[in-house]
Amino acid sequence: MSFKDWFREDRLPHIFCTGCGNGTVINCTLEAVEEMGWIRDTTVFISGIGCSSRAPGYITTDSLHTTHGRALAFATGVKLANPRLNVVVFTGDGDLAAIGGNHFIHACRRNIDITVVCMNNMIYGMTGGQGSPCTPPGAISTTTPYGMCEPVFDLSALAVTAGANYVARWTSYHVTELTKAIKVGLDTPGFSFIEAMVQCPTAYGRRNKLRQVSDMVTYLKTHALLLQKKQRMEEEGETVPADMFAVGEFVRRDRPAMGVLK
Amino acid sequence: MKLVIDERRCKGCNLCTMICPYRIFREGTRPNDRGIVIPELDRPERCTNCRLQGLYGRRLCGVCQMICPDQAISWEEEKPYEPRKVVIEF
Repeated sequence: MSFKDWFREDRLPHIFCTGCGNGTVINCTLEAVEEMGWIRDTTVFISGIGCSSRAPGYITTDSLHTTHGRALAFATGVKLANPRLNVVVFTGDGDLAAIGGNHFIHACRRNIDITVVCMNNMIYGMTGGQGSPCTPPGAISTTTPYGMCEPVFDLSALAVTAGANYVARWTSYHVTELTKAIKVGLDTPGFSFIEAMVQCPTAYGRRNKLRQVSDMVTYLKTHALLLQKKQRMEEEGETVPADMFAVGEFVRRDRPAMGVLK
Repeated sequence: MKLVIDERRCKGCNLCTMICPYRIFREGTRPNDRGIVIPELDRPERCTNCRLQGLYGRRLCGVCQMICPDQAISWEEEKPYEPRKVVIEF
């Protein structure tokens, strides 16, 4: 058994662009689900709208493809209606941070027993490359032709503040770490949030001098700063470069969770 | 075990050429009939997973399979080599 058995072979190859990191994150999630020993009948994948949210269509379990930003609301309903189900939510940065922001905050506050895998590609990829809340400052997109002038929404910090039980962030280059983080998230009772930074060479890289897939992955690799190293740099008084993002496990705690079978 | 790239799924992103620690994957040179340049395999018998998967009974390195966004990389069972008599000419 491997994660390949979870794919709907008749639907492959999928429609993601060449070098899109979403396929990697699906691989890692399914590998983690496979390692957990979950079965198809009691696993549900839920998604909203966007590139990342096409993922459950390629997985051979029951799934819900819901309205824009409301994946967490549907997931809450599924989990509370039948707490025996294992619920995993695939979502993107535009889906989760922009239109579904309030659902995200309140799902963290309620601490429902679901796992959210956010594929943060820093742009609205499917609709043609508009700037999202996670577009880094200075980046060119369709709606920010002179460079993004707003600061980035740090989703992991938001989840920590709002009360999620497990929060981690990795990139699509760090496949082993991402798989381990998702597995810990699936294992944790309560809300687990795993943010995966993925490359988008078509909508983001093409406008930001990162047209090749390898350039985009190198960008993620070189701009990822391990959380322990970041803390050490802050203790020693060094300045952390503004364009780097921290990766690692942000929080693991045991707040009372909702929707867990007693 | 034998390393294979599924030509119907590969989209030619060359992520495997970046990540393989042995540099088994090389960028291809000519496009196939779908117009996609598929990576070539450079001595794939060096792959750890090809050599030792049967011995350990689990996938060993496997980062190329994990990072492949198109699920195109896999390992196939192959028939064990049949011993052949080699004629040595003096």
